[in-house]
Amino acid sequence: MKKLMFVLIIASLMLTACGGGAKPAAEGPVEITFTMWGAPEELTVWQAVVDDFHKANPNITVKVDVSDWDSYWTKLNTLIAGGTPPDVFAMDAPLFLDWQSRGALLNLQPYIDANPGFLDGFYPQTLTAYKTADGYYGLPRDFQTIVLFYNKDMFDAAGVAYPTADWMYDDLLAAAKQLTLDTNSDGKIEQYGFWSDTWDMELLWSEAIWAYGGDIISADHTKTLIGEGGARDAWKYIDGLYKEGVMPTPSASGVFGGELFQAGMAAMTTIGHWAVPGYIQAGINFNVVPMPSGPAGRATSVNSAGFVVAKNSKHPDAAFEFIKFALSEAGQKRLAELGFAIPVLKPVAESDAYLKQPGSLDQRVFLDSVAFARMKPVFKGYEEWAGVVGDGLIPVFDGEAELDTTIDEVITAADEVLAKNK
Amino acid sequence: MEYGLKPLGREKLWLWLMLAPTIIGLVFGTIGSLLATLGLSLFDWDLINPPNWAGLSNYVALFQNKDYIEAFVNTLKFSALYVPGVVGISLVLAVLLNRKIRGVGIFRTIYFLPAVTSAVATALVWNMIYGKDTGILNWMLESLGLAPVCWLCTDNAMMSVVIVNVWGAIGEGMIIFLAGLTAIPRDYYEAASLDGASDLQQFFKVTLPLVTPSIFFQTLISAINAFQAYDYIYMLTRRGQGDSSVPVAVYSIYRNAFHFFRMGDASAQAIQLALLVAVFMAIMFWWERRYVVYE
Repeated sequence: MKKLMFVLIIASLMLTACGGGAKPAAEGPVEITFTMWGAPEELTVWQAVVDDFHKANPNITVKVDVSDWDSYWTKLNTLIAGGTPPDVFAMDAPLFLDWQSRGALLNLQPYIDANPGFLDGFYPQTLTAYKTADGYYGLPRDFQTIVLFYNKDMFDAAGVAYPTADWMYDDLLAAAKQLTLDTNSDGKIEQYGFWSDTWDMELLWSEAIWAYGGDIISADHTKTLIGEGGARDAWKYIDGLYKEGVMPTPSASGVFGGELFQAGMAAMTTIGHWAVPGYIQAGINFNVVPMPSGPAGRATSVNSAGFVVAKNSKHPDAAFEFIKFALSEAGQKRLAELGFAIPVLKPVAESDAYLKQPGSLDQRVFLDSVAFARMKPVFKGYEEWAGVVGDGLIPVFDGEAELDTTIDEVITAADEVLAKNK
Repeated sequence: MEYGLKPLGREKLWLWLMLAPTIIGLVFGTIGSLLATLGLSLFDWDLINPPNWAGLSNYVALFQNKDYIEAFVNTLKFSALYVPGVVGISLVLAVLLNRKIRGVGIFRTIYFLPAVTSAVATALVWNMIYGKDTGILNWMLESLGLAPVCWLCTDNAMMSVVIVNVWGAIGEGMIIFLAGLTAIPRDYYEAASLDGASDLQQFFKVTLPLVTPSIFFQTLISAINAFQAYDYIYMLTRRGQGDSSVPVAVYSIYRNAFHFFRMGDASAQAIQLALLVAVFMAIMFWWERRYVVYE
């Protein structure tokens, strides 16, 4: 509370102090700031990108600042409220419209128009999230598709055949049952057949809903569709994974630090490329296959992290130069070294820089999944909506609430959020 | 009545100089931010666009906001359980530890330990204690032949969170009461035991009336802490998308301000919470005049 009040007063003081408006961009050396969320090791790679950029553009110095996910957004809000936004900052695609609609972001369309062919190499699926009626207010920097990871050692030990690209969701359940083991017969599970995070739609439930023929939200963003048509079957399937005991309940998995595949306690998981470095480091012997299919076919989710420029940046030209460099082949190759995500430039993703990363997994699966990927929905009020829906269903999976009635309640509450954020 | 020495001449200057940092801090940090919050509660502000005048509409909206009402009721429930818990347990502990027994220092240290450890770290340990399948608490229940309990599921989360918060606060409460207890003259007890009063009678007839100043103080502090409780609750009950199974008022204020960009709503909630604390304090001071015994 005290901290909150302190932030408020500082914010209001800074607001009055900084109301002077932007100065014209000065000739000569400029310094711009770039803030992002990420792990500390990401800073090293970004510093390399920034150094390369500075070599090519000696007049522009970029100051990089990396925070963890939670502090990043709080910091960003405070900086913007104080009238001193970072010039370039990282954006999570689903949250993009919450920021763009409030007028916080600069329209990048004039810069894109001035650089013909700039968007040619991009995966088109990654661009849609940032497109608005009057152009792009952001650009993707890397993207993620969700695939099925499996622990080869656990499959070998149980004598179960590895997952294939032809799997249906029912095959996943059948294999998970065989891989759920009580190795010391104490009545408690030591190894789960499957584990995934069901707080957020991205890892399992959006893919399942699409594969069972349902949808998440109406095209005009006014109706939550997670209770209609095939969506109910997908929920029944997910609830079944918990009820069959092949996946630990959310409250149980929290105790293991919430990452059971990395902890070597689950034989399969569905997650994106960002998990790969951690799994390699943990010594997991794993590989990947595309998501299973449902009655309505196969689907995965594509989501991206991107760059945006603050509307009242004092150096918008320099800011765009930096983005342009990070999205060039040289910049994207550097980022591919990180191993956390997939480059948005197709030529880089298809090159050795991405495909020949450490680890013996099939990197191509992530790229090929783009063919049947659907965009993680982007709409206003996303964060509040995701809280209502994602967190609202957890009591069901913990065995405390009934599935169908809870879905109905959650939809009512979620539609209220959409109405409030119109 | 005047106490002590009065500052003279140049001393006065130094007095003000020395006080200046605290006073400036108070004026800007506390009173200033309170006024800023009061001001913001009359506007709609999304942190980016200029604030729009909203009059009292943010306050009216509080009564229609189901989430906030839930959070507010949770705060009241939490306080109703937490305050008596902290005051009662720390008083009993202080009485037990206010005697010459071997190793009393060790016990006092153990009870005070939570007050000096990071709430985030201890909350992680409590997470393991409360764990459903692997938690120590359920392991103990099961070895007694009882069914395991989901301590942090929706139904039990409030109770579990109150237990952790009380545990975290009794150390400080104990110190307050120990100070109060040592101030009671020994001869009162000697007189009482000469008159044949039992230990229990001594506690109710001598100790309790004479520690009422400490009880008053501790109740006030505990209530203020209860209305602002956040860290343990956040660590133990937050869900994957930022919601909580025990959302309390401060939680709602934080989410509205910094996640949903509704500064006006958040400020109105903060003001309402501050008013509640003020009303509670008024009641407490009335109570103080009636029941608190000062020597």
